[in-house]
Amino acid sequence: MCSAPLIAVVDDDEAMREALCELVQTFSMSCRTFDSAEAFLGAHSLGRFDCLITDLRMPRMGGLELLRTLRSLGSSTPVIVVTSSSDAPSRSRALAEGAFAYLTKPVTRDTLLQFLTAALGMDPPE
Amino acid sequence: MFRELTCSSRWSDTSCASSIKSADSTSRWRLNEAVANDGHSGGDVQPSEGQYRELIQYMPTALWQVDTRAMRKVFDRLRSEGVTDFAAFLDAHSGLVELAKEIVRVAEVNRAAISLFRGQCAADLTKPVGYIFAAVPQALKRIMIAHFEGRRNHTEQSKIITLDGETRDVILSVTFPVPSEQPYRSFLTMLDITDRLRTEAQLRQLQADHAHAARISTLGELATSIAHEVNQPLAAIIMNAEASLRWLGHDEPNVLKAKQLTTRIISSAERAKDIVQRIRSLAARGDAERIVLDLNEVTEEALFFVRHDIDRNQIELSIDAAADVPKFLGDRVQLQQVIVNLIINSIQAIRQAKRSDRYIRLSIAPGYRDTLTFSIRDSGTGIADEDLDHVFASFFTTKESGLGIGLAICRSIIGAHGGCISASNLPEGGAQFQFTLPAAPPPPLVEKLAR
Repeated sequence: MCSAPLIAVVDDDEAMREALCELVQTFSMSCRTFDSAEAFLGAHSLGRFDCLITDLRMPRMGGLELLRTLRSLGSSTPVIVVTSSSDAPSRSRALAEGAFAYLTKPVTRDTLLQFLTAALGMDPPE
Repeated sequence: MFRELTCSSRWSDTSCASSIKSADSTSRWRLNEAVANDGHSGGDVQPSEGQYRELIQYMPTALWQVDTRAMRKVFDRLRSEGVTDFAAFLDAHSGLVELAKEIVRVAEVNRAAISLFRGQCAADLTKPVGYIFAAVPQALKRIMIAHFEGRRNHTEQSKIITLDGETRDVILSVTFPVPSEQPYRSFLTMLDITDRLRTEAQLRQLQADHAHAARISTLGELATSIAHEVNQPLAAIIMNAEASLRWLGHDEPNVLKAKQLTTRIISSAERAKDIVQRIRSLAARGDAERIVLDLNEVTEEALFFVRHDIDRNQIELSIDAAADVPKFLGDRVQLQQVIVNLIINSIQAIRQAKRSDRYIRLSIAPGYRDTLTFSIRDSGTGIADEDLDHVFASFFTTKESGLGIGLAICRSIIGAHGGCISASNLPEGGAQFQFTLPAAPPPPLVEKLAR
C-alpha cells in the first residue's frame, strides 16, 4: 500500500472522538477528527477520506442525515456508525440507509479493526 | 403621684393558695393616676376600672408589667456620665445585663402569662425578670438597648423556658411608655408560636419530601440520558486504555503515547465522577437550604441533565441570559429540579407537536422591582384553553405516561421560594412558562436571615 488510509471521525463528544482517533492510529492509519457533521462536510471532497466513522446523535445534523447528504453528493465512502444507542430500529434504519456497520460504544479495538479493514477492502487482520 | 388601690379584680392572684381560675383577690395593684382619673370620679371609676382589669386578666395575650425603676436610675447615671453608645457599653460591661436580671422586677402578670410559663399563680412569675430570659439572655440585652435609646417598642422572636423546663418559641414585645405616661413601668407581651413554627416546619418537610419523590421520578424519566452521559466517558476510557496497551506492546514501547493516553483516561474518569456526583446530589434527600444563588448558574447545571434529551430530539436550544440578573436566596437542587421539569415538559410538547421547527428558548432577566424572571418558550403543542387554569394542579396530565406531578412540584417549589409561576400560550404556537423570584436582599440582611 502506497499511503496509509485516511479515516474521518465525527463525534460531538471530544473525549469520544479523540479515543476513536487514537484507536485508528494504532492500526497504522491516519485520522482526522470533526466535532460536527457540518465541519466534516466543509472539509470533505470526493475520495478524500477512505472511511467515515460517525456518531448518530449530534446537535443539528445527525449521523443519518450526514450519510444521506454524502450519498446525495455522489460519495461512496464507507460509513461506520458508532453510537451509544443500541435500539434495533435505529440500527436497521442506519443499515438500510447504507451504513457499512453499526457499532455500539464502547467499541473494542478488535471489532473496530475488523470492520475498518473490511470497509477498506483490506485483508482481514490475522 | 401614685395612689394605691385595693382592687376587687386585678390582673392576677398572687396567692399560691388559690388557683389561677380564682377571681378572689388579696393583691394590690398599683395604678397610674392618669388611668384612675380618666374623667370619672368616685364610684364611677370602679366599674370601668374593674372592666379594664378584667380585660387584662382574661386577654389571651400573655402580659407582664415590669418595674423598671431601678434600671432607669442606672440609665440616668450612665447618661450623666456621657454614655451614648449603650450597645458598646454593654459589650464592655456584660455584668449590667446580669444585674438587670436581678434588679428589674415583674410587678404584675395576667392569666395567659401564668399559663404560658405553667405557673400556679402570679407569685410564681412576679419576681426578678431573669427567668424570662433564661433561654435567650441576648434578648434582654437588646431590650435594654432599645429602652436606653428611648425607643417606644421592641419586638423579636425569642425562646423561653417554662417553670417546668420546656422551651417554647415566642414573639416577645416590650413597650416602654414615655415618662409622662408610666415612668417606671414597661409592658411585655408574649405570643406562643411554638405550634405555628412546628406546623411550618412540618409543611416545609412535607414539601421537601414531595419534591424529593418527584426528583427521583424525574431521574427515572432521564435514565436513558443519564446512562448515555455516564457511558460516554467510560467508553472513552476503555478505548484509550486499549490504544495505550497497544503502544506499550510494541517491541519499542511508545511511552510518550501511553502517557498521553493515560492523561486522557484520567480526565474521562474525572468527568464520569462529576456526572455521578451531580446525579447523587439530585437524588439526595437534603434539608431545603437557602443560599445565595445565581439563576444563570443553576440553569447551566439543570441543562446537564436534559441536554442529551434536547439533542436526541433534534431540538434547537437558545439561552438569552442577561448579565445583570440579581441573585436570589434558594435551594440549588430544588431550583434545578424546577428548570429540569419545565424543559422536560417542553421536550414532550415538542415531540407531540411534530412541527418542523423544534426549539426551546430560555430567557433569564431582571424582573420588576427586585425580582428576577425565568421564562421558557417552546414550539410544542401549547396548552388547551380549558387546561390553562389547572396545568399546575397535582396529577393533571395530558400525557399517556406521566404522573402529572412535574408542574405541581414546580409551583410548590417556586411558591416556597416566595415567587410565582404562570403558563400561557404564544401567538406563534407553543407555550410559555415563566417564574419570578424575589431578589436576594443586600448582603448584611442575607447574613442575618442565614443566622
